[in-house]
Amino acid sequence: MKKAILYINQFFGQIGGEEKADYAPEIREGKVGPGAAYSGAGLDAEITYTIICGDNYMGSNTEKAVSEILSMLADKQFDIFIAGPAFQAGRYGVACGTICKAVAEKYKVPVITSMNVENPGAEMFKQDMYILKGGNISSKMREDVAAVTKLANKILNGEEIGCAEEEGYFGRGIRRQVWRKDGKPAYERMVDMLVKKLNGEPFETELPIPEPDRVPIAPALKDLSKARIAMMTTGGIVPVDNPDRIQSASATRWGRYDVSDMDKLEGGVFKTIHAGFDPAAANADPNRIMPIDAMKVLLKEGVYGSLHPYFYSTVGTGTTQAEAKRMADEIIPYLQNDNVDAVIMIST
Amino acid sequence: MKLEIGNFYVKDIVFGDKLSFQNGVLSIQKEEALKFIKEDDRITEAELYIAKPGDKIRMCPVKEAIEPRVRPDGRAVFPGYTGDLAPAGEGVVHALKNCSVLVVGRHWGGFQDGVIDMSGEGQKYTYFGQLNNIVLVADTNEEFEKHEQQKKNDALRRAGHKLAEYIAQCVKELKPENTEVYELGGMIRRDPAIEKLPSVVYVMQPQSQMEAMGYNDLMYGWDTNHMVPTVMHPNEILDGALVSGSFMPVSSKWATYDFQNCPSIKALYKEHGKTINFLGVIMSNLNVALEQKERSALYVAQIAASLGADGAVVAEEGYGNPDADFVGCIVALEDAGVKTIGVTNECTGRDGKSQPLVTMDSKCDAIVSTGNVSEMIELPPMETVLGELEALARDGLSGGWANDELLGPSVREDGSIIMENNSMFCGDQIIGWSPKTMKEF
Repeated sequence: MKKAILYINQFFGQIGGEEKADYAPEIREGKVGPGAAYSGAGLDAEITYTIICGDNYMGSNTEKAVSEILSMLADKQFDIFIAGPAFQAGRYGVACGTICKAVAEKYKVPVITSMNVENPGAEMFKQDMYILKGGNISSKMREDVAAVTKLANKILNGEEIGCAEEEGYFGRGIRRQVWRKDGKPAYERMVDMLVKKLNGEPFETELPIPEPDRVPIAPALKDLSKARIAMMTTGGIVPVDNPDRIQSASATRWGRYDVSDMDKLEGGVFKTIHAGFDPAAANADPNRIMPIDAMKVLLKEGVYGSLHPYFYSTVGTGTTQAEAKRMADEIIPYLQNDNVDAVIMIST
Repeated sequence: MKLEIGNFYVKDIVFGDKLSFQNGVLSIQKEEALKFIKEDDRITEAELYIAKPGDKIRMCPVKEAIEPRVRPDGRAVFPGYTGDLAPAGEGVVHALKNCSVLVVGRHWGGFQDGVIDMSGEGQKYTYFGQLNNIVLVADTNEEFEKHEQQKKNDALRRAGHKLAEYIAQCVKELKPENTEVYELGGMIRRDPAIEKLPSVVYVMQPQSQMEAMGYNDLMYGWDTNHMVPTVMHPNEILDGALVSGSFMPVSSKWATYDFQNCPSIKALYKEHGKTINFLGVIMSNLNVALEQKERSALYVAQIAASLGADGAVVAEEGYGNPDADFVGCIVALEDAGVKTIGVTNECTGRDGKSQPLVTMDSKCDAIVSTGNVSEMIELPPMETVLGELEALARDGLSGGWANDELLGPSVREDGSIIMENNSMFCGDQIIGWSPKTMKEF
């Protein structure tokens, strides 16, 4: 039989209540507290160990607590790590999320927990693991344990995990296409939604619009004549041999190219590899996307202070927001190290 | 306007002594058909194949799909494209059903071309995997674009439309098995019982982003880049007024077949008089510059309001940059007091965590989502390949790649493939067929 390790707090570990919340982590062989409920619910793994830790201990000595627990696990074999359920208990929920995340990272085993939607741990950790949507009080123990067990068994048996709505966990921010079981085509869904919206009846969109993730606009430069400027584009301008092998669409790569010795970008030396527009004009004169020519003239005229020696390039078409953010995070240190004051970002 | 589509259901396709249709069997005289195709001297090499559901066939690079049709009165099936301009949407047209003409490049593909599998795991990814297909595999002398990632595919696409018209000649004089009738009169002075129902327009945003001519969807032969939104009768769309182009990553594409059979228009027709008063179609487009996007949105909202529409459905033939046109149009309609829903696919990235549309607005509160361009698809080798599979990796198809340090090339030596859904031919079926949706995991 496969093996599971359970994490619970001092209260469910029958150590005590609030007065024992500073209880340092301990590991016990076999199952304690809710462990019996998991077996009763038909968990396809034996709970070989239970870790008990006080909520305050975890909350106020997080790093120490995590490291102590991780070392307790170092010599243990286990196929899944289960924490909670934590219901609406805030510190317990955060503790379950914290330890699950650390265990998954260190030991690469699946982790799973359960908490109520009002538990702050849900919002903090839902992107990192399966957190079942649980009840608010411990009288929901049976239902919550049953829900965790159902999903845990699917994981243990290598079965396909359905979407958040179907399985009852908090969405992890991952959107995937699925074939509807009823095969209902888009045109029927369209008519249903349309008629409901027209008649003021409730309807459910298939693409909930998340809160916008906007970057605040930076304050204006105080003195352009002293500013150090860097140039950047998603227009795919690269040396003709594309040395960084940046993709023509859905890019995951970027490059930076030294232009300190050039007055402009020469056609035939630079080109665009962007697949989302007609490249003729950009190939004939790459400055029309990456205007090094104009920047050098303005530099001579003293309009701005100095030019960062490299321009940065990737391809924007089909490139995901997450990849774009990662590339920006990689580029930013180069700009900071060179004391760049402002960036001109050229899109196409 | 009244359109009668006489249906002939194709159960099998064979090559035979003469072009004919009998008891559900479409027989094609191959040599004559090829001779007809080669009348265009740009075609340097051509061959015909039959690809039916269950056949162990993979096609790539697929460029276009057309339903074979003919008009008994002799008008061109695609007025302004395969023949002289004439009104579409009125009168009788004969159609070979469950059947399409597919155009596949013999060698060269591009950003806008795609993949179709007729069996196995890959079959479900396209609508055309379930049809009886006549497959034209051909090459051309269009040297100027042989190595271009963006191809007009003009000779090949025209060959497909002409072949579809040519094949359907065999049912020109025959009596159809059944007839679908689409009839919708003027938008005003309708039956009072119908006028009591909420009035609805269908807003189409066909692909028109290329400033150079020859790539965009055509409307009566006119490039949709060169227009502002206008009103069309739904029958015109169902009857060859629109011809698909050669630009968008192909899972978002509307093939000419899709326009001819637009299931969303048919669904709105079906509801007409029951739950809605279907006014008609506002034909918009997709643009590159912000001002162009805003101009089109402004026109659509104005037309919808002037027509007195209570509701609208907006559908886009694209993703990425066109999302701005799509969202902008929905917002403009909502601001004009028109209750609007949208139909689109999404692009959430390989990890599924990216923003689904490049721009979003809380006014888009009713969206039907038809698929994910970034979904990774891995398929085993297929016995027969029509075209040149290597094109998926070599020629910059939107969902393929020549090499990737983690995933390797899109096309492997054994003929198995790994690709993004982006290159599944019309795979997201935004036109309305999609059985797919998007869910959070």
